[in-house]
Amino acid sequence: MFAIEREGEEYRRLSYKDANCVGCGICVEVCPTESLRLGPTVPIARGLIEMDLVSVNESSCVFCGLCSVACPFDSLALTIDGADVKDIESYPVWEVESKIDEEECIYCGRCNEVCPRDSIIFERKLPNPVDLVRGEIEIDKDQCIYCSFCADMCPAGAIDIKNVPTSSNDLLNNSIEVDLSKCIFCGVCKRVCPEDAIKQICSTCMLVDEIPVPEITGDAFISEGSCVNCSWCSEICPVDAITITKPFEGTLELVEADEKVCKGDSCHACQDVCPCNAVEIVDGKSVTNLDFCNLCGACVIACPQDIRVLSRTAMKLNNINSESWNEILNGLIGK
Amino acid sequence: MAVKIDSNLCGHIENCPVQGLCIKLCEQGAIIEKDGDVSIVPENCDDCDLCIQSCPNQAISKA
Repeated sequence: MFAIEREGEEYRRLSYKDANCVGCGICVEVCPTESLRLGPTVPIARGLIEMDLVSVNESSCVFCGLCSVACPFDSLALTIDGADVKDIESYPVWEVESKIDEEECIYCGRCNEVCPRDSIIFERKLPNPVDLVRGEIEIDKDQCIYCSFCADMCPAGAIDIKNVPTSSNDLLNNSIEVDLSKCIFCGVCKRVCPEDAIKQICSTCMLVDEIPVPEITGDAFISEGSCVNCSWCSEICPVDAITITKPFEGTLELVEADEKVCKGDSCHACQDVCPCNAVEIVDGKSVTNLDFCNLCGACVIACPQDIRVLSRTAMKLNNINSESWNEILNGLIGK
Repeated sequence: MAVKIDSNLCGHIENCPVQGLCIKLCEQGAIIEKDGDVSIVPENCDDCDLCIQSCPNQAISKA
């Protein structure tokens, strides 16, 4: 986290949010004054060093804002007189999206489980099971011998029996209670009772129309700041409710040579820095699943063997109006 | 092949910004602390070069 500012004809302020940063180094790559530095990404990812991934040299920064528009992950922001340049019409803009369609979402929560960045805000309300079952249950306490067969067999754990005297004066002080908020009227207690002391009716079949259909409601949305557009959520969503646009198109390959080979489990630097959880070490080699990769390039920088080859062919950064910015920013896709 | 440490550049744990970052990074046990200093165990080295890349003093290189 840093924020630097300069007051002139305009008031310009550059702020950096480490929480959103993936360590891709794109900002460093595009900075025309070499004012940004990427820290040691692997030790930081492993928690060996606590520091921000990116740092700035305040005296050489010209507050142009190129880093902030190039950052696909909303980690840097330049404001001019209080307005974020990403909201100013003439500045480039990432046309990416990470959205959950609440009309389609069934609140299963699988996206929330797989998101590598904890970017999904998820909450759901399940119906009360008691509202979904109907029945009656009655225990004849004169007939009950407190054998506890019913309580031991009850799949819902709904029967509470007290059948051990606490003193010699307490011999007849037994009790049996059914917790109707747990009972599902399955009838196991009735069938197992050796004394026929339990009367139970499941009226589900008769009253089926009166029983509410379970309705699951909730809230689910993606916090776009920390989202890295990896697509784990949209790939796993069973109802196709999620749209993710990736910032880049292209490929990432492992190109080994004589002396330069992937050391797999010994190193796993790529896996540690990957913000997308897209890298796995399989049979001693790094394997990247491009379905989940956002082509940020953090692994390319982290690889000590320098054998990861990233080829971006297109990007969703549009509205680049300045010729010099166009040249620099198109360098990201090798054009 | 392993790696070697230039003892003029090395922070010798005490003056290393991370008190022996290379030792902490190497999961092969090829860099260990010995008598308060950094020591290489060549037979454990897998030549992954992670230590070379990460040394804040650029003290590590190929042997």
